[in-house]
Amino acid sequence: MENKLIDHLFRYHSGKMVSVLTRIFGLSHLETIEDAVQDTFIKASVAWRQQQPENPEAWLTKAAKNRVLDIFRKLKAEKNLLPNLQQSRDFIAVNELFLDAEIEDAQLRMIFTACHPDLDPRDRISFALKTVSGFSIKEIASALLTKEETVKKRLFRARKTIQKGTIQFHIPQGKALPQRLESVMEVLYLIFNEGFHSNTQEQLIRKELCGEAMRLCQMLLKNELTRSSVVYALFALMCFHSARLEAKINSSNEILDLKQQDRSLWHFPLVQLGNTMMNKAVLDPEYSCYHYEAAIAAEHLRAEHFDDTNWTKILYWYECLYAMQPIPIHILTMAVVCLQSLDFDKAKHYLEQLEASDLEQRSYLYYGTLSDYYYATKNIEKAIEYLDLALQTVTNSLEKEHLQRKRITLTNSTLKRKS
Amino acid sequence: MKEFMMIFVGADYADLGLSPEELQNRMGKWFAWGNKMEAAGILRGGNALNPQIRRIVGENRTVTDLTSAEVKEIIGGYYLVVAKDFDAVQEIAQDFPDYDLGGTVEIREVTVFEDHK
Repeated sequence: MENKLIDHLFRYHSGKMVSVLTRIFGLSHLETIEDAVQDTFIKASVAWRQQQPENPEAWLTKAAKNRVLDIFRKLKAEKNLLPNLQQSRDFIAVNELFLDAEIEDAQLRMIFTACHPDLDPRDRISFALKTVSGFSIKEIASALLTKEETVKKRLFRARKTIQKGTIQFHIPQGKALPQRLESVMEVLYLIFNEGFHSNTQEQLIRKELCGEAMRLCQMLLKNELTRSSVVYALFALMCFHSARLEAKINSSNEILDLKQQDRSLWHFPLVQLGNTMMNKAVLDPEYSCYHYEAAIAAEHLRAEHFDDTNWTKILYWYECLYAMQPIPIHILTMAVVCLQSLDFDKAKHYLEQLEASDLEQRSYLYYGTLSDYYYATKNIEKAIEYLDLALQTVTNSLEKEHLQRKRITLTNSTLKRKS
Repeated sequence: MKEFMMIFVGADYADLGLSPEELQNRMGKWFAWGNKMEAAGILRGGNALNPQIRRIVGENRTVTDLTSAEVKEIIGGYYLVVAKDFDAVQEIAQDFPDYDLGGTVEIREVTVFEDHK
């Protein structure tokens, strides 16, 4: 007997079942539903030890449906809180909700619920990962590098807001849709970035988060209502970034910047997929931030070697991005780009527009860039001075090691000069 | 060759807060282990046990119903295998998937009553 299960079947199925059952029983019963769905996986994990069913998905679906009906029958015996599902007409309707297209519809409703603007922004990610993606509290905590207690609190808060009853379990229509879609994309991109930029030791978790964000993004593209050029652009961007995921970390778990990455490790099928998506994204002449970010990522991928990078083009895309989204980090990045193209005056021009506090917790990036600027303009003392400031403000241990290695190189170069 | 029973003692999955992903992975390991024993032709049977317990104790035959949460060490299942000796079964038991959850494998030899003719 071979193992017939596709990877992540349980996790994917969890999101599907929670969504469909929520559509039937309502958001107010979410917790009961999640418990019931979890029960079916426990049951399956034992029942399938020796023999797996011919159609595992159908088995799980049926088990989840029955389990919830069981629970509600019990509850109904106590209180009268449930639509009477035994009435044949309702029962047929319920069965139809378990068809594939309806499951996808229910999942989209759940995504829009999880990303609802009434929820605290920090709670949205945890809630989406739990409810839509089937992660456990422990998995969410380790993926987001937070404590399990914090995740629990966030989930509790999200559920409380939802139980107030003002959030509808639907896909928004008409004028509300673009704005709500934007909120969904923001959460998906945050989930993706948690995976892409996180420095957890476990490469697996990083990939899972990126993969999950892409899977949810594909769901948006699959549905006519939610498909848009902006979603295509976001998906293209995720493809371009994840093409480099393998190359970002070396075998001893050190971060490699674009210059050091082994470009032969870039995953070209993803680049191609990204290109296809990008072609669809630009059919609409109105561009979003995701369009520009994708254009930048694509430009990096186009260069066979780091030295072939077209910095002029990249700077142009950043200018476009900054015009649409005027945030300090883009100015800093433009300074970095200018340093790469050896346009030091322009780099200085950008750096002078910034202060360390503009970048908040990431002020070490500002100091690091200033250090690079002074190193490039041969002012080694100042370069070391700013590198030390960067070291004082950096919190992430991998980044810290990266900066420390840099400092050693810098001090060595001064020693050489003096001797 | 002798018959041995491997008895699995430990916490019930339901009480451990495992994620769907973890449950699938564990299930896959159990499945692979069962397959391996079957392929080696040493598996004689086995079952998983539901966590509900009815216990009858003492002369008065006092009956209590218990759930896994009320019992520290619950028997979750067993396999019956044929092997040369305890060491051989110990080797087989290396693949038991739940040691990291605090699970225990207890190996017992099945008693054979000699037939005195």
